[in-house]
Amino acid sequence: MNLSRKAQYILPLAVALVTGCSSSTVATDVRDVNAFLAAQGRNIGQRPGAGSAISMPTEDAWENDGAEAPRILAKPLTADDAVKLALVQNRELRASMYELGIARGQAVQAGLLPNPEIEISLRAPQDPFQRLQADIGFEYDLSALILVPLRKGVADAELEATRVRVARDVLETAFQARLAFYDVQARQAVLDLQKRAFDAFQAGYAAAEELHRVGNLPDADLAIHRAAVEASRIDVAEAENALLDARERFNVAAGLSGQQVTWTIAGPLPPPEDMPVDAVVTEKKAITASLELAEIGRRMEAAAKRVGLHRTQGVMPHVSGGFHGEQDGISWELGGHVTVGLPIFDRAQGRIISAKSELGALRERYVAAAIGVRSSARMTQNRIESAGKRARHYQQALLPAREKALAETLLQYNAMHVSVFQVLDVQRRVTETGIAYTETLLDYWKARASLDQILAGGARPRALGAVSTGHTSSAGMDVGSGAGH
Amino acid sequence: MDRRDFVKLGAAISGTLVAARAAGQALPSQARPLPAKPGPFPGGQVRVVTPNGATLPMKEKDGLKIGHLVAMPVDHTFAPGLEGACWGYNGRVHGPTIEVVEGDRARFYVTNRLPEPTTVHWHGIILPNGMDGVAGLTQRPIMPRETHMYEFTFDKPGTFMYHPHFDEMTQMALGMVGMIVVHPKKPKGPRVDRDFALITHEWAIRAGMRRPDPNEMKDFNVLTFNAKAFPGTEPLVVGKGERVRIRLGNLSAMDHHPIHLHGLSFEVVGTDGGDIPVSARVPETTVLVPTGSVRVIEFVPTESGDWAMHCHMTHHIMNQMGHGMGVIVGANAAKIDARVQQLVPGYMTMGHTGMGDMAEMKMPAPKNSIPMVGGKGPFSSIDMGGMFTILKVRDNPESEDGSGWYSHPKGSVADKADAAMMQADGVDPDVKF
Ligand SMILES: [Cu+2]
Repeated sequence: MNLSRKAQYILPLAVALVTGCSSSTVATDVRDVNAFLAAQGRNIGQRPGAGSAISMPTEDAWENDGAEAPRILAKPLTADDAVKLALVQNRELRASMYELGIARGQAVQAGLLPNPEIEISLRAPQDPFQRLQADIGFEYDLSALILVPLRKGVADAELEATRVRVARDVLETAFQARLAFYDVQARQAVLDLQKRAFDAFQAGYAAAEELHRVGNLPDADLAIHRAAVEASRIDVAEAENALLDARERFNVAAGLSGQQVTWTIAGPLPPPEDMPVDAVVTEKKAITASLELAEIGRRMEAAAKRVGLHRTQGVMPHVSGGFHGEQDGISWELGGHVTVGLPIFDRAQGRIISAKSELGALRERYVAAAIGVRSSARMTQNRIESAGKRARHYQQALLPAREKALAETLLQYNAMHVSVFQVLDVQRRVTETGIAYTETLLDYWKARASLDQILAGGARPRALGAVSTGHTSSAGMDVGSGAGH
Repeated sequence: MDRRDFVKLGAAISGTLVAARAAGQALPSQARPLPAKPGPFPGGQVRVVTPNGATLPMKEKDGLKIGHLVAMPVDHTFAPGLEGACWGYNGRVHGPTIEVVEGDRARFYVTNRLPEPTTVHWHGIILPNGMDGVAGLTQRPIMPRETHMYEFTFDKPGTFMYHPHFDEMTQMALGMVGMIVVHPKKPKGPRVDRDFALITHEWAIRAGMRRPDPNEMKDFNVLTFNAKAFPGTEPLVVGKGERVRIRLGNLSAMDHHPIHLHGLSFEVVGTDGGDIPVSARVPETTVLVPTGSVRVIEFVPTESGDWAMHCHMTHHIMNQMGHGMGVIVGANAAKIDARVQQLVPGYMTMGHTGMGDMAEMKMPAPKNSIPMVGGKGPFSSIDMGGMFTILKVRDNPESEDGSGWYSHPKGSVADKADAAMMQADGVDPDVKF
């Protein structure tokens, strides 16, 4: 808030006169947003400690330097690539930049001095002995001139608020691209695992077919295995569709179209990091960094100024003045005048009420938003801890246990205690656990990205969604319980 | 050697056996006692040999024989590779054979080191009702850490057994059984040169478990002679032309065992009820030993060699066989393996050409298990296990310890047929039907 306040109050009229007509290209706005983000030290869309802040490309870069996106797309994508692409290509983000231009235009407009009015009138007298007579009048709206700094102050505050909102859009765009990319990674892994499960069902069916062929398996069992294969085929198709959906969501998030949509990903979701986060610190940081709060704050500032503007307007008599010259054919007669509109009836009471109410509404929104930010910070924190613990448990305990169960079941098969079908059943449990692990991992990385987003001041993480409950499958005691012989 | 000396010798032999077992040495060649000589019993009868087992040492005091049985948990080896957490007597499974003479008065102290009460029932012995050992019916149970005393006279010669009669389902399933031999004061019939005692038993031990399952009702997968499964069974070495007696007791939970001997026929000469009259004896090659019964057979082998002796229920001569695999015989393993191995690398379809080769496949097995394991034979692996042992008939049995194989006279072993001879005899191996 300091930035704009200082700027507003020391803004002299003369400066406004000179700079009022400066260019208002989007490039300036991009520069301003980047400067703003840099000043706040926000690593948008970057893993903490992953290096320099990503900044918006300029409009020239958007239109002229088309090499960036193809360069990124040429290789399999990482999550950070996903963010870069979105910042380079996302059209909604560009639209936001133009909206910033609208606000800037309004601010420039508000700082312009009222134009003087010159009135010239000629009179041709009917009396042939009289000469042509001329009047020259010069009129200037003094009230408007006096109110320029106040109006400019309001517009500048609005511009500041819009700049913060666009900065939020940048963060949000980066965040959404990252989430969409994580989702693609997860859906790809789930598809691979569903295919593996399908392979297991097919292997079971192949074994059943062969045993049936040589008279060792009844029709009923063969049909059951066949049904399992066909059901699994649907699971694979669903997983395929989920992946395609996720890819499209990413295409939208990253603004990709045409040939660009054939990208590939560099790998699956990484295992969870062991990064403890202090809940109290997180909450404080979230509040300090919140761009949502900053935007409301600036809007409050604008509203406060608007109250001031309308109050001044209301009590100030409307003053305009001018000079007047009259040429009666022989000499000029000069004079001046001042017009004073008396603030008797319209003292801008209505506008003051509106502006005050707007301020009140914003004040309440500010508190509500602060409550929301604190809660989001805690929720994200909890999610990271819980999903991280669960993911690590899958990785370090359950998956190895399932692998061990498979190895031991294979030995039981060797001891003729279980059939090939039971071996494949246990193998599928490893696969199912892999799917549940993937979903939990996605939860974890979504939460992680949300926390980064919150700490960078981004929007509240609506995308966190409900807690996923993986299918961990019951203990699997149904296998090989029969004693031998 | 007088009787007293013999008792000492018996104790020494028992001690040796216990030591051998503790070292996990249960191979036929290592656990066999010296061949028996005609013993000190009335009528010059030989003492009883309990293959893989021992005889209970008994003290003699004022004409009374005193023995001590301790019921206790025992770690037992069924065959190399399969250990069991069992219950038994005096540190062994099964309990030692009690060997006395008709008319002996005996006093048995029974100490209970089990976590639950027990008793001893003297199966087949006719004795005062209060000595019969049925918990609740004829006596108080012997509580853990208590010692009870039984005292009675062995009035009748014959072959009998002992086992608990408290929670017998659990205690017998875990191994608590033993044999009793009461020699007659005046033996009838021809003199016997060799006298063996064998108890058949069955156990449910899933591959990878150690505790036999006492609740099992039908799926028994470890079948034993004297608590040993082949190749853990100790062979019976006898002389050609010798008269051999084998006392077969059965305390299996659920199954009778048709015990079959190769290379000879025998007569069933007695049960735990007494001798069978000579006029009622018939030649047999298989004797069905019902659960809870004793059958005593006698024979004189005339053919030297290594002869199979086994239960004729084919599932009873398998080691820890499972039946969860389904029928694989006839399937094309390649068709199954190609797909399954992609998902489970160690997988290999087996049993598609039958099961005979499985003993040699050396598939990785669950720990503490001997599925499909057979024994080593002189020609190839013997693909049998369980209730299987070998009767070794030798011209000079005293020089044999049972570890060597019979050497066949030249040309007396079935082998690959000569093509020219087949042709000459009109045998076409490619004949169509
Ligand atoms: Cu049998």
